[in-house]
Amino acid sequence: MATIAGTEVGATVAPADLRETSALLTAAAQDGATVSFAGGGTELGFGYPPERVDLLLRTEHLSHVVEYTPSDMVVEVEAGIPLAALQKVLAVEGQRLALDVPHAELASLGGLLACNSYGPRRARFGTLRDLIVGVSLIRADGTRVRGGGKVVKNVAGFDLPKLAVGSLGTLGMIATATFRLHPVPETVALLRVEHCSGSHLRRFVTGMLERRLEPVAMLAVAVGRGYEFLVLFEGFAAGVLEQAERFVALAAGFGLVAEDAADDRTIDILDEEVRTFGDLRLRFAAPPGALEQLEAEALEPLMRRFPAAKLALYPSLGVAFWSGYANDVEAAVAGTLHARAAVERMGGNAVVLDARDPRIRAAVDVYGTLPSSFPLMKRLKERFDPDGRLNRGRFVGGL
Amino acid sequence: MQTIDRAAIVRDLQVAVGAGNCIFEPSDLRTYECDGLAGSRVRPAAVVLPSDTAQVAAAVRVARRHGMPIVPRGAGTGLSGGALPVEGCLLVVLSRMNRILEVDFENLRMRVQPGVINLDVTRAIAEAGYYYAPDPSSQSVCSIGGNIAENSGGAHCLKYGFTVNHVVAVTVVLADGEIFEVGSPASDPLGYDLLAAVVGSEGLVGIVTEAVVRILRTPELTRTFFATFPSTDEAGNCVSAIVAAGIVPAAVEMMDTLAIEAIVKATGVDWPLDVGAALLLDVDGTAAEVEHTAAAAVEIAKSAGALDVRMPKDAAERALMWKGRKSAFAAMGRISPNYYVQDGVIPRSEISRVLREIAALSAREGLRVANVFHAGDGNLHPLVLYDARVAGEEHRAEFVGGEILKICVRYGGSITGEHGVGTDKAIYMGEIFNDADLESMNFVRCAFDPARVFNPGKVFPTPRLCGDIPGAYAPHASERHGLADRG
Repeated sequence: MATIAGTEVGATVAPADLRETSALLTAAAQDGATVSFAGGGTELGFGYPPERVDLLLRTEHLSHVVEYTPSDMVVEVEAGIPLAALQKVLAVEGQRLALDVPHAELASLGGLLACNSYGPRRARFGTLRDLIVGVSLIRADGTRVRGGGKVVKNVAGFDLPKLAVGSLGTLGMIATATFRLHPVPETVALLRVEHCSGSHLRRFVTGMLERRLEPVAMLAVAVGRGYEFLVLFEGFAAGVLEQAERFVALAAGFGLVAEDAADDRTIDILDEEVRTFGDLRLRFAAPPGALEQLEAEALEPLMRRFPAAKLALYPSLGVAFWSGYANDVEAAVAGTLHARAAVERMGGNAVVLDARDPRIRAAVDVYGTLPSSFPLMKRLKERFDPDGRLNRGRFVGGL
Repeated sequence: MQTIDRAAIVRDLQVAVGAGNCIFEPSDLRTYECDGLAGSRVRPAAVVLPSDTAQVAAAVRVARRHGMPIVPRGAGTGLSGGALPVEGCLLVVLSRMNRILEVDFENLRMRVQPGVINLDVTRAIAEAGYYYAPDPSSQSVCSIGGNIAENSGGAHCLKYGFTVNHVVAVTVVLADGEIFEVGSPASDPLGYDLLAAVVGSEGLVGIVTEAVVRILRTPELTRTFFATFPSTDEAGNCVSAIVAAGIVPAAVEMMDTLAIEAIVKATGVDWPLDVGAALLLDVDGTAAEVEHTAAAAVEIAKSAGALDVRMPKDAAERALMWKGRKSAFAAMGRISPNYYVQDGVIPRSEISRVLREIAALSAREGLRVANVFHAGDGNLHPLVLYDARVAGEEHRAEFVGGEILKICVRYGGSITGEHGVGTDKAIYMGEIFNDADLESMNFVRCAFDPARVFNPGKVFPTPRLCGDIPGAYAPHASERHGLADRG
């Protein structure tokens, strides 16, 4: 029997098309059935365990490119299409969706939208929130509705596309989504610097800002007591090589050596290695300027408790991913709560992305302190899903 | 609802915000009868100009107590009637809340009050080498609060995005005077993206009284060029070719013959009058990258049939070129007694075809249409020229404006790219959204404002109720009274 975060699933259906999906949701509404959704299943551990899943809708057959006009650099897809499959279609035209996440071969766009997943290139391109321009949702009552459109610039009506991003399938099922695209760069340069300290990371961020370098992504991975730092430049050859040279000089100024990474994919490989490791995975988000504080007060104590854990920082964003094996449950609980308290003091948050051990789930809230605007979120949920049947109990505050 | 105790309203508002921050005299209220959509005028029942969040909340509570609808207003430059008063309303004008509260270079954030003028945000940080990206053409007079309400864009949103991409947190006062912080200065705030519901909500969910915006480092280099073409066809193809070459310009603006004529007459720029179209293009970034992309874009323009390509010789000349573009709307006064500004969006690849359809429409209706617009993202601004003294022309101009929107929709575009729906375009919402779509948008509005106190009658084409939801907010009997006419 299938389960989601430990909750048993009643029936599983993989509808053949959107019409059938709508019909299933309409029927579920009539029966009062609770419904959850799954794409590639890569982030099904995220959120509270659902209270009840009468029906699990799998989107694997909803994997078509609905419309792609390369000259407009916009694509509309069905929710079940895996990111890598979409990138393959776009690459033929020299284009891409500027999103880099682990498990791109499996992860569906619908799931990525629902979880608002992102990777290190967020530093330049933002999150899916900044890339989505249109959406269609199948509501709790089975009605398919649209928001946004297929043009990048559009302020007609309330922004349903962005509201869908990060909503964990609790406002409606994401049926299709339309994205703005970016060109595949002519040239990329990935540089790596070993033996960085936490303060080096901050100095790299501010140093590049001062020098007006424009990195596309930055990633720092914990190695021993320090970090390996990667920085990615993209664009046309002349610009990329010049930026790389200036970065090498910046590193030299700190007494560090920046070298070309042999493989440009290293940044994605290392990011994925950290984010798919272990049986307890956490994400920290602090104000970007609080990087050193985040590192010293939240992450370092956690790493001291769990030396075998893995840690990736996005230094310009104030974001960190921590993954480890929580063999010592008590220590994991204490360490997570301590780190969360630290990052919440900075005005940020710590989220449990996945915890396989139910004892950890029982002791550590997935999201931490509720945002002060939670009453508004509750009202929003009540409007879209008055019976609370969609992904019941999974989201922030049990929405 | 109109049988109101006027003396009590005056007294209560004076207590809420101070007598000096209230306007009740009919002759003074006239100033606030309209926004940038000057054709529509409604006199508000009262105007308040609060100076902080607490005063806004207090004024809102007074309005609620007296059953008055509430209309928020920033600088009043909006072009869709978003700040147009409604009958019997309290107009809450945020222009006195114009302080920059905090500049935070560490986090690349700035905390501002809603009445701060867009350009003043950049001015406050320019010397340090930073700027605020959204740059509507009205940026020297429009305010951040209005920008948030309308999700304003501007020429440079092609590369940098819109207001919604540059605001990270807001304080918002709701209809019962509740105050909420929405969003977060840190990355990844928890829960629903309520900020996306507030930004672009056109004053329908509440009043933003504070905002935290993102600031950016000024690029190392910006290269600008101005290219002329025999017709809008070549200019449109040039834009497509530049984008197809993998170049993401910071801005690409197009002007047709009529627009060039008006701009030349109004600003004195020495642009040629015997061309069919002109492009004004910015590329920015690191120096080496920009030198490369600017040169490549110039080559593409030449192969696309450019008659002439000019690079400004210094910053002053560049500023003049942009001043020409940004004063285009006002410049129309030089070539026509009146004009109607339209704002529609089409897929970029359809520019040439759509402009030809607009030209045919213009010829058919006997009204000139000037085009000046954000070509990079297909955001058209056709300006329908007319003479209000000629009987029926104003009406025809509105008709032509509406037909242009229908063309945009037919090509898969939108009825507004940056000016908003407001009162002006509510009737066109049905062209792109069906009832269920609009109902879902209304869910969002009702989550914030179940009694529909804020800006009633805007955005939605027909009055929409919020309905009853078990466990949800239940309006007081006195609030339900008169709901039907609040739309």
